[in-house]
Amino acid sequence: MNFLWDNIFKKKGEQTAQSVLKENILFQDLSEGELRFLERCVHIRHYHIGESIFRQGEVGVGMYLIIKGRIEIHVVDPQASDEASREVFITELLSNDFFGELSLVEDNGRRTATAVAREETTLIGFFKPDLLEVLARRPAMGTKITLRLAEVLGRRLKETTEKVTELRRILKDHP
Amino acid sequence: MIDPRSAFIIRRERRWRLFSFLAILLTAAAIVVLINGLLASCVLAFVIAYLCAPIVDFLEREGLRRSTATLIPFLAGGTLVVIGTILILPLITEQLEVLISQLPRYQRDLTSLISSIEARYGVYLSTGQINLSQNINHWIIGRTGDLSVALPSILSQSFTVLLLAPFFAFFMLKDGNAVARSMLAFVPNQFFEIALNLRHQINEQLGGFIRARFLEAAIVGAVVWIGLQIIGFPYATVLAIFAAVTNLIPYLGPIIGAVPAVLIALVSQEASIDTTPTVTLLLVSSIYLLAQLIDIVFVIPLVVARIVDLHPVTVVVMIIAGAEVAGILGMVIAIPVASAVKLTFNALYLHLTNFRD
Repeated sequence: MNFLWDNIFKKKGEQTAQSVLKENILFQDLSEGELRFLERCVHIRHYHIGESIFRQGEVGVGMYLIIKGRIEIHVVDPQASDEASREVFITELLSNDFFGELSLVEDNGRRTATAVAREETTLIGFFKPDLLEVLARRPAMGTKITLRLAEVLGRRLKETTEKVTELRRILKDHP
Repeated sequence: MIDPRSAFIIRRERRWRLFSFLAILLTAAAIVVLINGLLASCVLAFVIAYLCAPIVDFLEREGLRRSTATLIPFLAGGTLVVIGTILILPLITEQLEVLISQLPRYQRDLTSLISSIEARYGVYLSTGQINLSQNINHWIIGRTGDLSVALPSILSQSFTVLLLAPFFAFFMLKDGNAVARSMLAFVPNQFFEIALNLRHQINEQLGGFIRARFLEAAIVGAVVWIGLQIIGFPYATVLAIFAAVTNLIPYLGPIIGAVPAVLIALVSQEASIDTTPTVTLLLVSSIYLLAQLIDIVFVIPLVVARIVDLHPVTVVVMIIAGAEVAGILGMVIAIPVASAVKLTFNALYLHLTNFRD
C-alpha cells in the first residue's frame, strides 16, 4: 500500500455507520450525543462495482469513510507513453478506511487521484458544508473534529517529509 | 476496466436517480407556482428563515435544542408584531385613510400642474400628437381606482401569506437540513458532491444577500422616517415603510420609493410651472438622497457588493423580467434567483467541462 493512503489509524472488525464514525480518529473524541448529532449530518452513499467515487482533477468537497466494500485508488499519469500504462495503481482501501480528508480544509482543491469501487460499496460522506454546519451549531464538537483533522494532516505531512528526505538521499547515493 | 453489466446498472441507477430528483424538484416548484398565494408565502418564509437562521444557530450554540432555539425567535417576533400592530397600525391606517381621501385632490393638482407644463411647452408635445395631461390623468385615475378597488382583496391575500409564511419558516429552520439531506439522497453519485456544495453556496449567498438587503431597507426606512418627521411632512410612517419596501428592488426601487413623497411635495405647492422648487420639495428630495447616500457609501460596499456579483445590465434585465413574470414580488426576488442560477450554471459548467476527463 502507498504510504500516503495507508490508514495508520485503522481498527478491525464488522462495521456499521455508527461504529465507523465512532472508531474513526477524527471523531474519537466525540461523546455519544455528539456522535448522534454527527450521524444526522453525514451522508450514506452506495456505489456499484466499477463506479467512480471521484475522479482526479475534480473539485473535492470532503472525505469518505468506508462502511463496507473495497475502493481502488489510482492516478492518471499524463506522461505515460501508452494508454495501458496511463492508470497507475496506488492502493486499495477496505472497510473502516477513510480518504479525501484534505478536501475538508482546502478551498476548491482538486482531487489528486481517482477512487473507484471494486465491490458493492457503502460509504459515509462527510463534507466541508457538513463540517461548517457542525462548527456553526456545535462549536465545541467542531473544534474536536478539526483538531483531530489537523493531527491527521500533520502526520501525513510528517510522513511525506520523511519520504522526500529518503528519496533525496537515494537519488544522491545513486545519481 | 468496468464490465458491461456493471456499467449498465450504474447508468440505469444514475438515470433513475436524476429523474426522481428532477421530478420531485419540478413537482414542488409547480405546486408552489400554481397554487394561488403559495409562491408569496414561500418567498416570505425563506426571507424569515434566512433572517432568523443566525439567531437560531446562536441559541443552539448556547445549548438549547434545535426546536426550542427555533421557537424563541418566532415567539419574540410574534410578540413584537402584536405590540407593533397595537402601536403603529392605527397610525398607518389613519395616514392611509387621509392619503386615500386626499388622492382626488392630488390627482387634480397634478393634472393642472401637467397642463401648465403642457401650456408652456405644448408646441413640442403637440408635434408628437401627445396629450400629456389627459394621458397621465387617465393613468392616475386608473392606478388610484385600481388601488381602492383591489385593496380589500390585497389585504385578505396578505393575511393568508402572513399566516402561512411564519408556519413554513418555522419548519424550514427546524427541519430544513434534514429535508435537504433527504433530497440530496436522490442525486446521482456523479453529481452528489457538486450538488451538496452548490446547495451550501446558494444558501450562504442567499442568506447573506437577504440579510444585507433588509439591513439596507431598514436603514433607508429609518432615515426617511426621521427626516420626514423633522420637517413635519405628512404620512411620514407610510412613506418611510413604502421607501423601505421598494428599496428591496435594486436600482429602480429607490426611485419608486421617492416618487409618492416627491409628488405630494410637488402638488402641495401652487400648481404652476412658474413656481420654482420650494424648500419643502428640496428638503424631501434631500432626505431621500441622504438615505440613498448612506446606503451607497456605507451599506452597499460593506455588506451587499461582496455577496452578489452580477453586472448592472444583467440586474436591470432581470428586474424587468421579474416584473413581467410576478409583478413587484418578481422584481424583489429577481436578483437572488439570478445569482442562484448563475452559481448553478457556473458550477455545472466547470464540473462538466474542466474537471471531467
